[in-house]
Amino acid sequence: MKQMKKILVLVLSLIMVMSAVAACGGNDEPEETEAPETEAEAVEVEEETDAEAEVEEEEAEEEVEEEPATDGLSGQINVYSRDAASGTRDGFESVVDFEDQLTDSANEVASNGEMATQVGKDAQAIGYVSLTTDFEANNLKAVNYEGAVPTEENVLSGEYQLSRPFDFATRAEGDYASDEEEQLVKAFVAFLTESQEGLEAVASEGGIVDLEAATPWDELKADHPIVDQDNSGITIRTGGSTSVEKTVRAALEAFVPYAGNFQFEMDQTGSGDGWKRVLGDEKDGPTSAHIGFASRHFKDEEDVSGAIASGTYCLDAIVTVVEANNPIEDFTQQQLFDIFTGALENWEDVQ
Amino acid sequence: MTRRRIINDKIKEALTWLSSGISAFVLIAIVVFIFSRGWETLNWDLLTTGYNSENLMADFVHVDMNEFSEFEKPSNLKDDAVFSSKYGIAFVDGIDANKETYTKVVYLDESSPLQDGKITTAGPRQGEQLALHEGLYLQKISYLDEAGDKKSAGQMSPEGKEASELVAILDNQSVEIVDFYAQTEGGGLRGSIITTLILIGITLVIALPLGIFAAIYLNELAPKNKLTSAIRSSIELLSGVPSIIFGLMGMTMLFPITQLFGIDGQSITLGAMTLAVILLPVIIRQTEEALINVPNGMRMASLSLGATEFQTIYKVVVPNALPGILTATLLSISRIIGESAALIFTVGTAITDNPAWNAKGTSLAVHIYTVMGGEQPNFELASAISIVILTIVLILNVSVKVITYYMTKEKDEPAKA
Repeated sequence: MKQMKKILVLVLSLIMVMSAVAACGGNDEPEETEAPETEAEAVEVEEETDAEAEVEEEEAEEEVEEEPATDGLSGQINVYSRDAASGTRDGFESVVDFEDQLTDSANEVASNGEMATQVGKDAQAIGYVSLTTDFEANNLKAVNYEGAVPTEENVLSGEYQLSRPFDFATRAEGDYASDEEEQLVKAFVAFLTESQEGLEAVASEGGIVDLEAATPWDELKADHPIVDQDNSGITIRTGGSTSVEKTVRAALEAFVPYAGNFQFEMDQTGSGDGWKRVLGDEKDGPTSAHIGFASRHFKDEEDVSGAIASGTYCLDAIVTVVEANNPIEDFTQQQLFDIFTGALENWEDVQ
Repeated sequence: MTRRRIINDKIKEALTWLSSGISAFVLIAIVVFIFSRGWETLNWDLLTTGYNSENLMADFVHVDMNEFSEFEKPSNLKDDAVFSSKYGIAFVDGIDANKETYTKVVYLDESSPLQDGKITTAGPRQGEQLALHEGLYLQKISYLDEAGDKKSAGQMSPEGKEASELVAILDNQSVEIVDFYAQTEGGGLRGSIITTLILIGITLVIALPLGIFAAIYLNELAPKNKLTSAIRSSIELLSGVPSIIFGLMGMTMLFPITQLFGIDGQSITLGAMTLAVILLPVIIRQTEEALINVPNGMRMASLSLGATEFQTIYKVVVPNALPGILTATLLSISRIIGESAALIFTVGTAITDNPAWNAKGTSLAVHIYTVMGGEQPNFELASAISIVILTIVLILNVSVKVITYYMTKEKDEPAKA
């Protein structure tokens, strides 16, 4: 008896482990085979070889696309929102103009990546991510806003209006540990906002900038003699939004060889800390920084008039996303308002 | 035994089997998940390279390209490498552990004009020779085209992000190379691993003596009254406080102490002091447990031989409790490695390559937080870091077992002889 039970339990847990291995293994395969829309298809996908499954899915997508509006998709709209500290959420809510009116049934997710994963898995979902997100890999579809396609050109031209600025502000004049530090921060700001090299670095990480307006660093350099000396003893500290991390890191790294190998430390914790740590009440605390960033405009209560320099160094577009097989193509501001405030609850009601 | 009792017993027995089966399954599932996601990302280079790349920039004095004949493509180049016959250099495309695309130099001909770069960055190395050598990651290369205009190509330019495109531009459009900007390999974990080890060291130096002496007092010396039990229960209460609260406490209350050492800002020491406070309940509890297990007869024997109370404690009780104290140490180390919330406030999230006791840093667990916190969470790298953490904990576990084994063995031997 005892032996049999032992074996039974062992076999059971073995089966569970095997299924886990199979499930994990599946994740390594091309993303197209992931997250099939219906249960019936899920069974099919497992039975067929990968190649066949892909073809099958492509066909399914085409079929759906031919159908008008949201036919074929009905049921509850699952609204996904970012957490309250998110700059993306702040940007999205202010553009769509529904601050503090988010529907109670919204699911909150903690990061851009989590948003992408969750919406990609949920056929009824709607959410928003930044333009740099890899839509295909997350099984997402980027939806147009007021007829404008979310592309870099449309963001710069102002045609696509669902965008947010990446802002920066430096410490106040004279509020640096040394004069060299202050000079170097000034030089970096010039590099980040005006130079060809700096803008290209930001653009290489998905920041939307106007390269046409750029000046080669060689011409700007004359105003910043600090870059012609060995700066390896100086550390520039940044703080604020996590969204800006990649673009700012690229610009800092590109600036290092132009400016005497200075060091830098990036401590990105959220837009709310951007102003606080350079000009606000944490500016002399353990987390102080030289340049603070926010993935939104600084608020009225965040007074940046004291900063040596402040402004927008690039734009980032927010894109409304739905699961890849959702037939919807375009949202108006009113539709998004209705969906995110809970006035529209079902996909068949979206006109 | 009645039939009912047999059935009753069997059901309970099956329950124990099922429970342990489920626990084993969950454990194995987690390990399988981490390994299947992270194993491919994990390699020796990831552990030994720093996070920040060295940024190198060099320019070239005017070179007349007509002096150079076409370079021969070496036969041992891999298939995915793209070779520029004009400059004698080969690149490959790839994606690194941080999911960034890169263009890496895999070959440079010995007589290529790209051998003679001069570092332009101000500093001690200015003017040194720097070739665009094998192993560098090309970010940008500037060239003059036939009209004499300066243009650029590479990862950081709008053009030439892929190796084939880059080589086509270099071979067909460039007349002369002006300068290049390249990086050494980066994105590694070395800095975070060292930070974690420093953090463990400093934390244990602070927490172990405090915890062990407190436990000795509570168990051996303290009078058994209400005050003692109040102290004991408040220590136990301490272990129920969420660590993020300790983080805030460290940031506001312990920061002035580190300021006395001249540290301006978050630091590993500040983190270690905060962790020490978090660990105190664990260490005190475990050590007390070990002290309680020392038979009272030993204390009596020692005292009756004329030893003082302190001689008894340090020569009889504590040595016998050592295995238990070691277990406490091990548990503490596991807690340090796994802690993240308190460290975000006190050590910071900035990843450094040269961690120091008085500077910011990132432990491995916080490194995972940083990796997962961006706009594109990187599960693979996070899982790879988890494997590193698991390995460290496993090694510590085994070594403590071995040490305990030898210590108890040594003690037993004279008794046998």
